[in-house]
Amino acid sequence: MIKILKQIWAVTKVSARSNLAYPGEVLGRTVFMAVILYIFLKLWQATYSQSGATRLGDMTLAQMLWYLTITESIYMSAPRLTRQVDEDVRTGTLAVRLIKPMSYPLYCISFCLGERSVRFVFNLLIGAVITFCLVGAVPVSPFSLAMLAVACLFGFILDAFGQLIVGLGAFWLEDTSGLFLIYTRLVMIFGGMLIPLELFPHWLKEIVVFTPFPYLVYGPVHLFLHPSLTEFVVLLKSQLICILALGLVAAFVYGQAKARICAHGG
Amino acid sequence: MCKQWTKCKSYLKLVAAYIRLNCNIQLEYKGAFVSQFAAMFLNNSAWLAFWLLFFDRFPVVKGFGQNDVVTLWAICAAGFGLSSTFFYNVQELAPLIGRGQLDTWMLYPRALLPHLALGKMSATAVGDLAFGYITYVLLVRPDCAHFALFVLLTLSVAMLFVGFNLIRGSLAFFVGNAEVLSEQWFFSMITFSTYPSSLFDGWVKLVLYTLIPAGFVSGLPVEALKHFDLTCAALALAGAFAMLLVGIFCFYLGLNHYQSGNLIEMRN
Amino acid sequence: MNAVETVELKKSFSLKTGLFSRAKASTIVAVEGITLTVPEGQAVAFVGPNGAGKSTTIKMLTGILKPTSGKARVLGFDPWRERQKLVKEIGAVFGQRSQLWLHLPPKDTFDLLAQIYDLGKHDYKVRRDLLVERFELGDFIDTPVRKLSLGQRMRCEIAASLLHRPRLLLLDEPTIGIDVVARQRLRELICQWNKEEGLTVFLTSHDTGDIASVASRMVLINHGRIVLDDTVASVSQTVIQEGLEGDLEQVIAHLFAQPAASSAGLRG
Repeated sequence: MIKILKQIWAVTKVSARSNLAYPGEVLGRTVFMAVILYIFLKLWQATYSQSGATRLGDMTLAQMLWYLTITESIYMSAPRLTRQVDEDVRTGTLAVRLIKPMSYPLYCISFCLGERSVRFVFNLLIGAVITFCLVGAVPVSPFSLAMLAVACLFGFILDAFGQLIVGLGAFWLEDTSGLFLIYTRLVMIFGGMLIPLELFPHWLKEIVVFTPFPYLVYGPVHLFLHPSLTEFVVLLKSQLICILALGLVAAFVYGQAKARICAHGG
Repeated sequence: MCKQWTKCKSYLKLVAAYIRLNCNIQLEYKGAFVSQFAAMFLNNSAWLAFWLLFFDRFPVVKGFGQNDVVTLWAICAAGFGLSSTFFYNVQELAPLIGRGQLDTWMLYPRALLPHLALGKMSATAVGDLAFGYITYVLLVRPDCAHFALFVLLTLSVAMLFVGFNLIRGSLAFFVGNAEVLSEQWFFSMITFSTYPSSLFDGWVKLVLYTLIPAGFVSGLPVEALKHFDLTCAALALAGAFAMLLVGIFCFYLGLNHYQSGNLIEMRN
Repeated sequence: MNAVETVELKKSFSLKTGLFSRAKASTIVAVEGITLTVPEGQAVAFVGPNGAGKSTTIKMLTGILKPTSGKARVLGFDPWRERQKLVKEIGAVFGQRSQLWLHLPPKDTFDLLAQIYDLGKHDYKVRRDLLVERFELGDFIDTPVRKLSLGQRMRCEIAASLLHRPRLLLLDEPTIGIDVVARQRLRELICQWNKEEGLTVFLTSHDTGDIASVASRMVLINHGRIVLDDTVASVSQTVIQEGLEGDLEQVIAHLFAQPAASSAGLRG
C-alpha cells in the first residue's frame, strides 16, 4: 500500500513539474479568462438587474462571478487523459506499460492529478485577480479553502476515472473523440459549469444529482462559497460513492482491455 | 470580356476540383467524418442547451429572448461553418506562414490568395453549417422571406470570418511566433460572437465593431432577422465586405513585406 | 537561350532585436552578389552548407523573394515581376514537403494539378499516361499515397512536377530518406528527362551520389557567394593541397570549411 502511494506521489510530482515548464501558457490563459469572465459579468449583471433581485439561487452577483471563475478554472484544468489513453492503446504503448511495475490506471490517474493541480492553481490565480478587479472579494477562510482543495482533489480523481473509461473505449471504437466530447459536454452542462444547479428546472435537478457530474464541478465550488461541515461530509460521501462506482467500471473495462492485449499481443 | 470569362471559368473548375478531392478524402474516412460531423453538432447543441436552460429561468435579458439566442447560434454556426468549409487555409494562415508553406503556394501559376484560400477545405465544418440551418429551421420556424434573409446573412458572416482570419493571419508576416497571439484573437472573436451583443455598451461596443468584429455576427444580423430589418442587414453586409477588403489589403501588404524579407525574426 | 541569368544578385535581411524604441537593427547579408548563367538543358547541382544562401538564391530565382539589388532573368522572365508567368514553366520537388494529397491516390493529385495548371483534357491524359509508363507508376497509381513507400512517393512527386511540361525543374533534396535502389532509379529517371526533353535541372542536395549522377555542373555556394563553379567531372578529379583526391564528398567538405572571403555576414 505504502509502495503504491509512493509511486502515485512520484508520478504526480513529475507531471506537475513538467507542466510548470510552460509558463508561456499563462498569457493565453489570462486572455481567455479575462474575456470569458468579462462576458459572464455583463450577462449576469443584466440578469440580476432585469430580475430586480439581489440574490439568484442563493448567490449575490459577486458570488455568482466567483462561482463561474472557479468552475471555469476547474473545467479548463482538465488534461486530455482520454486522448492519451486512446493514443497509448492505438500505438501499442499500453502494452509496453504493462511491463512496468505500476498499474496503468493508477499511473494515468497520478499523471492526471499532477497536471491538473498545477493547471487549476494557475487558472484560479489568474481568474481570482481578474474577478477581484471586477467584483471585489468574497468571504474566504482557511476552512473554506481547505474544503475546496479536498473536494476538488476528489472531483479530479472522479473525472480521471471517467476519462480513463472513455479512453479505454479505443479498444472497441474507431474513434473515441466523439464519446469524449459527449462526456465533456455532460460535465459542462450537468456539472453546473455555466449555471449553478439552483437555477436548473426542478425536474432536471432531480435527475442530475444521480449522475457524477455535479460532484466534479458544482459541489466543490458551492461548498467554497457556502462553507458548511455538514455539506462537506455529504459531498465527500457522494464523491466517494461515485469514485467507487466509476472505479469498479474502470477496473472491469481495463480487465477486458488487458485480456485483449494478452490475446492479440499488443 | 471573353478573356475574363475564360479566367473565371478556369477558377470555377479549380474550385470544383478541390471540392471533389475533399469529398474523396471524406469518403475514404467515412467513420471519422460522421463522428466529427456529429461532434460539431453535439458541441453546438450543448451550448444551445445551456441557453435554453438560462432563458427558461430568465425569459428576457436586455431584449434578448430564447428565439434570439437560437438565431444567434444558428447564424454564427452557419456563417463560420461556411467560411471554414471552403476557406480553411485562411483560418490556418498564421501557422502556414510560420512553417514556410507559403513558398509552395507561390510556385503555382494561380492568383495567390484565392488559390491559397481554396486550397484546404474542412469537411467537418459542414457540421457547423448543417447545425446552423437545421436549428434555425426547426426551432425558429421562419417564413420564406426570413429564410432567404438568413441565407444572405450566412454569406455575410462567412465573408466577415474570412476577412477577420486574413487580418489575424497576416500578423505572421510582421510578427514572429504570431500563432499564440492570433489564436487568442480568434478565440475572443468566437466567444464574443456567441453572446448577445446587447450585453455590451460604451467602448466595448466600439471594439465589437472594429478590432473584434463580433457585432457583425451577434448584433446586426440577429437584429435584422428579428425585425426583418433590411437596413441592419445592409449594414452587416457592408461591415463584412469592409472587413474582407481590409483582410485582403493586410495580406498583400504582409506579402510584400515577406518578399522584401524584412522580418523581425530570421527565416530560413 | 539561357535558362537562368543573374548579375550581382544580392539579398540582405534587416534583423530587429528588441521592441519599439529599444529595437536594434542589424543587416544580415544572405546572398552577397551572385552572377550565374545556366544554359537551357543543363543539369546543375547547387551545393552549400546550411545557411549558405542556397534557399535564398532559389527563392529569388522563383520570385518568392525580392532581391535587395542585382538582376535576374529566368526562362526569359523577370522573377518578381512576372512570377505567375514564370511558375507555369517551372516544376518543383521538395524532398521534405509533399504536394501529393496523403490520403488519396496519386491519380487524384494529378487531376488537381491539371486544373491548377489549366491543362487541356486531351493533352493532360496523353502526358499523364506517358509519365505513368516511364516512371512505372501503373501498379500504385490508384493506391492512397500514405500506403506507398518513400521511393514510390518520390517517383510520383517528380512525375507530378513534370505534368505541365516545365522547362526548368527544381529538385530540393529529392532522395532524402530513400533506399539505395530506389535512389538509383530516381537519378536515372531525372537524367533521362534532362536529356530527352532538354529540361534544365536545378538540384540542391547534400548527397554527393545525387550530384555525381544527375548534374554535369556544380555551383558551390558558401557565406552567400559562389566559391566554386565547375563541371562535376573536374571537381571530382581536383587535387587539393591537403591531398584530398577523387572523393567528391571530401572535396566539397573541404571547400565548405573555407572561411568567408569578404565581410559578408552580420554587420551591426
